[in-house]
Amino acid sequence: MSTNYPSETTLLLAGTKRGLFLLSSQDRKSWKVDGQLLAGTRVYNASYDQRNGRMYAADNGDFFGSFLRYSDDLGETWQEPKQGIQFPEDGGLKLTNIWTIVAGRKDEPDTVYAGVDPATLWVSQDRGETWEPNQGLLNHPTRSNWNPGAGGLCLHSIVPDYSNSQRMWVGISAVGCMRTEDGGTTWTHHNRNTRADFFPENRYPEYGQCLHRLLQHPTKPDVLYQQNHCGIYKSMDAGENWIDIQRDLPSQFGFPIALDYNNPDTAFVIVEGDARNNIDDQFTVYRTKDGGDSWDRSTNGLPSGPGVRLGVLRHGMCSDTADPSGVYVGTNTGQIFGSTNAGDSWELIADYLPAVYSVNAVVLDS
Amino acid sequence: MNAVESKAVRVNIPRALLNRTGNQRWVEVHGATIREVINALDAAYPGLKFNLCFETGELRQFVNIFVQGEDARALQGLDTPVPPGATVYLIHSIAGG
Repeated sequence: MSTNYPSETTLLLAGTKRGLFLLSSQDRKSWKVDGQLLAGTRVYNASYDQRNGRMYAADNGDFFGSFLRYSDDLGETWQEPKQGIQFPEDGGLKLTNIWTIVAGRKDEPDTVYAGVDPATLWVSQDRGETWEPNQGLLNHPTRSNWNPGAGGLCLHSIVPDYSNSQRMWVGISAVGCMRTEDGGTTWTHHNRNTRADFFPENRYPEYGQCLHRLLQHPTKPDVLYQQNHCGIYKSMDAGENWIDIQRDLPSQFGFPIALDYNNPDTAFVIVEGDARNNIDDQFTVYRTKDGGDSWDRSTNGLPSGPGVRLGVLRHGMCSDTADPSGVYVGTNTGQIFGSTNAGDSWELIADYLPAVYSVNAVVLDS
Repeated sequence: MNAVESKAVRVNIPRALLNRTGNQRWVEVHGATIREVINALDAAYPGLKFNLCFETGELRQFVNIFVQGEDARALQGLDTPVPPGATVYLIHSIAGG
């Protein structure tokens, strides 16, 4: 594989059921597929840290444990941290899966965050060499009441507030949205108006919601979006209150959500039926251009037909920061679709991959 | 060969973990139980214990350890005695059908 991509290369990291693939393009039309990296492992997620060129992967092996790995040569070689993600031996917790790895804010250049099952936030302040669990969340007074969703008790979304170094949100399934205002010392639940339809007696509990994915608006830091097991929501006040923006979408259930960094009121979701794939014969990305007041169906270039049944997992959709925005969707049947016009049309940019667990896009600096 | 060396346990390393042992398929350590053998392996090849056991110490679900041809899970688990000079296999569960 090539480890020397020209500047301005768009790099798409695709974590799959069997390793990591790197898709690269200079024009976002013609794509080259490199891989298979970390072959044979289940790569739930992979990220590239623009600040220093380090790549991280969540390697959840079938048999021999979960490991965060990093590479300084775009996947040519991989290293294991000196002190990886492992719970204390006497704490009773055992690492099940690593779900996400997120670079810190601009003013914390060596900080990296990771979210795992069982739900904990891990922090490295030395570019991934040593990791410690966030104690405020680890010892949260409500933890004993937390219950897993079908994917486990996973902390899958980490949102370090770019406008406030003391504020961060995390998304946990099935606990919901939690926020810290004091740099991670204390955490509070923020799920008001989000439903938990699976609780027959109280559909609006303080916590216990099955939040699937959480993102922050690129220019308005108090605005958050979440895709939930029971709806699609938006918050205008940093999570204090949530507004149901499902509108006329044909299902309340879906996993991924992505935002358009050039048009901050544009967002993309995929909702699925009970079979956990596209609802009718048309694979569809649903798009809003007005912050969730209305949705249109983005289907131009996406497959349709009686046998088309595609599912998209939690981290299976992302956008890049180019202009116009690129949007990418990876399916559980190994296709990746890309759009370079914010969802007006789509192209199949990779096929025959293992089931895609995650896609993350980055435009490489010069 | 002195007395201590003669009691070494031979351990077969699965292919997926050869990076831990510098590609050595067979290694020798000392230990009177599976638990001691695992701890000895981790001392010689740091990180190997976490491949085999969770943080809590329990054996991972799909890791099987055979001592003299017997599945340790069906014996005394991690407390299964390992005779001097025994052969131990670390094997993951069969995948693929």
